[in-house]
Amino acid sequence: MDTFPATLLQITVTAPILIGLVLIAGRSLPRSFASGFALGGFALPAVLAPWLLVLWSSESTTVAQFQSTGLWGFNFGLNGLSAPLLAMTAIVGLAAGIKALTQEVESRNTYLGLILFMLGGTLGVFGTNHIIGFYFFHEFALIPTFILTLFWGGEGRRPAAMQMAIYLTVGAMASLAGILIAIEASGMGFAQANFGDVAHGLQSANHIPAAVGALVLFGLGTLASLFPFHSWAAPGYSAAPTPVSMIHAGALKKFGLYGIILVGLSSLDITGGRLGDWFLWMAVANVVIVGFICIAQRDLKQLVSWSSVAHMGPIFIGIWVCGKSGKADGLDAAAFLMVAHGLSCAALFLLANAVRTRAGTYRLDALGGMASRAPILAALFIAATMASIGLPGFGNFWGEIGVFLSLRDQSLWLQAIIASSVVISAVYALRAVAATFFGPASESLEKRFASAPFGDLGWAERTAVGLLLLASMAIGFKPALVTKSTNEVTKLVTTYSQHNAKAPAKAVPAQPVKR
Amino acid sequence: MPSDLSSLVHWILFLPLGAAAISALFLRKQGTLAAWLSTGTAFAIAGLSLKLLSQDGIVTWHTELAKFGGISLGFGYLIDAHARLMLFVVSFVAAWIHLFSVGYMKEDAARGRFFAGLSIFMFSILGIVVADNLLMTFIFWELVGFSSYMLIAHYFDKDFAAAASKKAFITNRIGDLGFILGIAMCLSLYGTLDFVALKDHAAAAKTIPVAVGALLMCGFLGKSAQFPLHVWLTDAMAGPTPVSALIHAATMVAAGVYFMARVSFLLAPEVLSFIAISGAGMAALAGLCALAQTDIKKSLAYSTLAHLGIMGCAIGLGHPALALMHMAMHAFFKATLFLGAGSVIHGCHHEQDMLKMGGLLKKMPVTAATFIAATLSNCAVPFLAGWYSKDAIIEASFHDGKFAIFAFLALAALATCLYSGRMIRLVFLGEANSEDASHAHESPWTMTLPLVVLGLVFSVGGGFAAHVLIPASSLQPIEHALGEVSFHLAAPSTIVGLLSLVLGFFGALKFYGTVRGADALQALSPRTYHLLEHRWMDGVYRWYIDSVQRRLAEFIAFLDLLVINGFAVRWLGGGIPAVLGYLTGRTFHRGQTRGYALWIVLGSLFLAWFLLAR
Repeated sequence: MDTFPATLLQITVTAPILIGLVLIAGRSLPRSFASGFALGGFALPAVLAPWLLVLWSSESTTVAQFQSTGLWGFNFGLNGLSAPLLAMTAIVGLAAGIKALTQEVESRNTYLGLILFMLGGTLGVFGTNHIIGFYFFHEFALIPTFILTLFWGGEGRRPAAMQMAIYLTVGAMASLAGILIAIEASGMGFAQANFGDVAHGLQSANHIPAAVGALVLFGLGTLASLFPFHSWAAPGYSAAPTPVSMIHAGALKKFGLYGIILVGLSSLDITGGRLGDWFLWMAVANVVIVGFICIAQRDLKQLVSWSSVAHMGPIFIGIWVCGKSGKADGLDAAAFLMVAHGLSCAALFLLANAVRTRAGTYRLDALGGMASRAPILAALFIAATMASIGLPGFGNFWGEIGVFLSLRDQSLWLQAIIASSVVISAVYALRAVAATFFGPASESLEKRFASAPFGDLGWAERTAVGLLLLASMAIGFKPALVTKSTNEVTKLVTTYSQHNAKAPAKAVPAQPVKR
Repeated sequence: MPSDLSSLVHWILFLPLGAAAISALFLRKQGTLAAWLSTGTAFAIAGLSLKLLSQDGIVTWHTELAKFGGISLGFGYLIDAHARLMLFVVSFVAAWIHLFSVGYMKEDAARGRFFAGLSIFMFSILGIVVADNLLMTFIFWELVGFSSYMLIAHYFDKDFAAAASKKAFITNRIGDLGFILGIAMCLSLYGTLDFVALKDHAAAAKTIPVAVGALLMCGFLGKSAQFPLHVWLTDAMAGPTPVSALIHAATMVAAGVYFMARVSFLLAPEVLSFIAISGAGMAALAGLCALAQTDIKKSLAYSTLAHLGIMGCAIGLGHPALALMHMAMHAFFKATLFLGAGSVIHGCHHEQDMLKMGGLLKKMPVTAATFIAATLSNCAVPFLAGWYSKDAIIEASFHDGKFAIFAFLALAALATCLYSGRMIRLVFLGEANSEDASHAHESPWTMTLPLVVLGLVFSVGGGFAAHVLIPASSLQPIEHALGEVSFHLAAPSTIVGLLSLVLGFFGALKFYGTVRGADALQALSPRTYHLLEHRWMDGVYRWYIDSVQRRLAEFIAFLDLLVINGFAVRWLGGGIPAVLGYLTGRTFHRGQTRGYALWIVLGSLFLAWFLLAR
């Protein structure tokens, strides 16, 4: 008999998938019925997953809990890392769902059904403890992502979807190879291949070549847009329909990071030796090079897409420094940032689209002065921008500052390079705000307004963005909502990661005045 | 006792946040209601702060918000004598400025947003004052930057306001970058971010690394607009005048000084010397630049820069208490000056050019009287508020034998008197120089009452009251500061002060009366005027942004597209099979799904082999 939370978890993952199935099968279902049904599929996880997080935080163990045998035989279960990510995914999913329900598209039922599939798959990624299940659910979510981008996407959707398909498949295959080798080396059968057991089993395994770590790191890194495997991300998000970009960039992409932590960092030595150096340099490039690419963007959605790549940098750095220093603080901060980034980035995608539907363009030089026409849109856009560049009060702040502080024992220049992201991100983000909303209204906008008058943000979109920003502020004001869940598991992963570094890592430079 | 007082601090800190939330969510269309809500809150805080000021001892309260690994994210209060003084000054000045804004912003359609912004600002600045650790200081430090950004951008449909708000935020963030590194270094060296614990560590250590102080100082350079991060402050005058008075003169920019005083035990001698020299240099230079501004607010902004330099100099000389005292006195008279300027601008139908004003003494008597009183305080007329603090700092530099600094400060004192005299002459004396000025009218009571209170009572009597009337226990910093230096009539600072007053102030009154409708210095020596007017640092920054940053960004974006997206990826994914076999001839260029699938398999097999075989 499953426990009550385990049942909740099962419902969280399976409800969207089943409802999606009904919508895809019933293409001619009446509109109002389909809308209500789909809304149920989006809303149910958004109620259950945060509830699960609260239930989870009140238990204080590190091992996976709420386990049950679920769909396709994969065990469902949460751990300290996945519980907040699951909650974040569900909230992003509801916001994306509200957006999708307000859109006018062809074959609406299929569209909604596919988005529900994508959401269910993403929830499954974080709702299972089984490594193969985790991988399976990711592929399960990716297929609708491709289809949605290909058929319902915007400008340049064909090449973008193709490029995305190639990158993600190659990345996923490379990581699968690494994962399989790791499972094999841990001595676990496929049936017991849980994150915890595999990591535990590998503690006593023979030395695993760094190449396996490289497969996992670069494979999953591709999925999480680690430089230089990031080229798919910005065009992919930009071309996808808005709800898809929201779920993909906000939640599904965290699959890669989550895997890097629970398979890479905890089981394989990805931060030591030359591989570790490469990891560091790539993550630094995510911060600095991609940051500069953001500054060069002239298109609002491209900018939001690229900035979502740039924000992966501090997360990678947090993971890296955890393995390097053997302290859990960087990993806690990285996990926090994963959750917070999902919320802020989804809000930005939604709002950028709201700008586009009003102004008819994403081009920054054709935009301007929208704040006087749509003050609420402007206010929410500024709030989401501020959240994304780490203003205190929103969740991203804790993640970013935590990563910076976790670097404290590294060399000063490295800290300076990473922390320079606070300036770089302010430069491009505030430029976008000023170019879109401030100043006098641009000529093209005036013309547009004369021909197709537009109003401020509607109630549906306000609700969706409000939900995301409120969630971000909730963890901003009460960071313990996330850290209470992650603290224990990050400690465990850190211990494992230090064991993996067979050749003892170079000692941290001696600290003067340490009492 | 401390435990019950902490709930008082809760109220002080969170009242404005509540007011801001209510205004932003529900009162966007009810401007009047938002205005009075915000103003009422500000006065309530001022009352609570006054209550706190009358208490003795140290209030502490601490809670842990969360943990990242071993790092505790703490939130708490440390109310010592410095904090009490700062709390009082901030909340008291702010309350009157709120009242002034009620009148000043009466016609503004976006009053709800404006007052929500003011309340958010109050929350942020009070957080810096009460914070008991570096991380919490940083949190509110960032929030202050944000509220300043929003308030500078109040007239967002004007290009200059949009540009100025962006510039202020980014320049502040450059300073914050150093601040973050300083915080990380403190955590690394001492394992704590708590002020009390840090002080113990610092006392126990023989030397403090220069880098700690230098990095923490970066935050101060940004927030207090010190060289080379001073460029944002004069542009920030794009915001409504009460904002300039509250944020960009009296409180926010002074927060940097307060912070430096709070962590003065972490500043190595080298850092102190730098702050002293750059502060003194900046005081002199900014004072002279104020002479070459025709916009009344810009001229006052340069004056603020000069005074911030003087405060910085006091920190650098090792007298943080003096710096705090000057911060307090400056807050009173500079707020009055800005509010007076606001009243003048309001009365002259939004004319800001001093050359187009004139003869306002008769038309706006209350404004004129308070403005002149605050100006005299600014010029350090003996026994007015500014005299106590400014002369004490000049005296301190002489006492310590830092004669170069003394010389710069003396020049600054002269410059202060010059631009003050010029301002009075151009704005209030002579004849009206424009249609608007000749139809000027006195402002309503909501605007003149704050002027009278801040100007006549505090700018004039603040120092005297602090020195003579109020019991020492609640004003230790000031008492202590004044005890450090001895006043007598033959002291060098007194001589310098009186000389510059006579020569500068009255000289300027006479000199600027010679030419009408134009600047006398510009008429006399256009090159000197241009030299002072020109903003060299702005040129450097603009060159950096246009020629370095943008080009670099575009170059990197191009490289990414060409090398990584174009070459490396196609090469790895498709190039290898292309080189290896004929099959690419059919598959490479067609974009067929089967072809792609084929390379994926080949490419990944190759990759796996390559990585595994190594």
